[in-house]
Amino acid sequence: MIQRRQNERRVLAIDPSTRGFGFAVLEGSLRLIDRGTRSARAKEENKNRQCLEKVEELIDIYAPDVVALEKCDVRSSRRCARVRRLIEAIVMLAAERKIRVRRISRRQVQAAFAESGASTQHEIAAVIARRFPELAPHLPPVRKAWMAEHHAERVFGAVGMAFLSTKRD
Amino acid sequence: MPSYPLSNYLKMHRRRSGFFQDEVSFLLGAEGGAEVCRHERCRRVPTLETALAYEAIFGVPVRELFAGVYRKAEKEVKRRAGRLARRLHRANPSRLTERKAEALRAICFGSPDCSTPNHDPAQTK
Repeated sequence: MIQRRQNERRVLAIDPSTRGFGFAVLEGSLRLIDRGTRSARAKEENKNRQCLEKVEELIDIYAPDVVALEKCDVRSSRRCARVRRLIEAIVMLAAERKIRVRRISRRQVQAAFAESGASTQHEIAAVIARRFPELAPHLPPVRKAWMAEHHAERVFGAVGMAFLSTKRD
Repeated sequence: MPSYPLSNYLKMHRRRSGFFQDEVSFLLGAEGGAEVCRHERCRRVPTLETALAYEAIFGVPVRELFAGVYRKAEKEVKRRAGRLARRLHRANPSRLTERKAEALRAICFGSPDCSTPNHDPAQTK
């Protein structure tokens, strides 16, 4: 049985997508408290507002010590303007609540999982599913060039960032 | 910001075991998953019988399933133990008082509430 240590941080990771966002809550690197997706059905800033309300709800429920978000001000980031604005809004929200924010770039996630021999998004998701078996049934199928990104992939993205946030300081 | 345990970890353990709320509800002998949902979202505190049933389902002690609730109760008990220790300190010393003081020390051991000089049950000796 895995018990929570006193100094383990609770991390809430948010990974936005076109339909909303995926999230994961981790306590330490071994306890996946919750994960899932939240959808927002609106356009542009209304969508961001809906997402922000849902993020706020999650913060109220889980009272995280750290909020992990993608670092999208790097050159390799291909995030759209709306998602960048949403991420900045979440950073502001976390600052208001006096919660630490960790920004992690995709490259950092890839580098961290490279040790396990995973480089693509699907391979990283597979490594995460092995680490957290409860996620295995939700592993999205291998994506072909003509396929849109599976909504559940954002969950694995969020778990990856949360996992890194529990390790790095 | 200090980190505190969540009120309960029912959802985490349910998802680990792969059960749906309806299935856990069936195991609890309740109708539908609504009750389980209320417990998971801390909208309702389960009865002792239900809490023990959760322990039987997930194989995790109640104090771990309801870590936040347990921590809150433990903190309150330690605080009261400190007060009771001070009250005992004023009473006439006897074998029974000593035994009680020892039990109170066991309750308070390592607690910041009891570590201050005013709250230290060790003073009862």
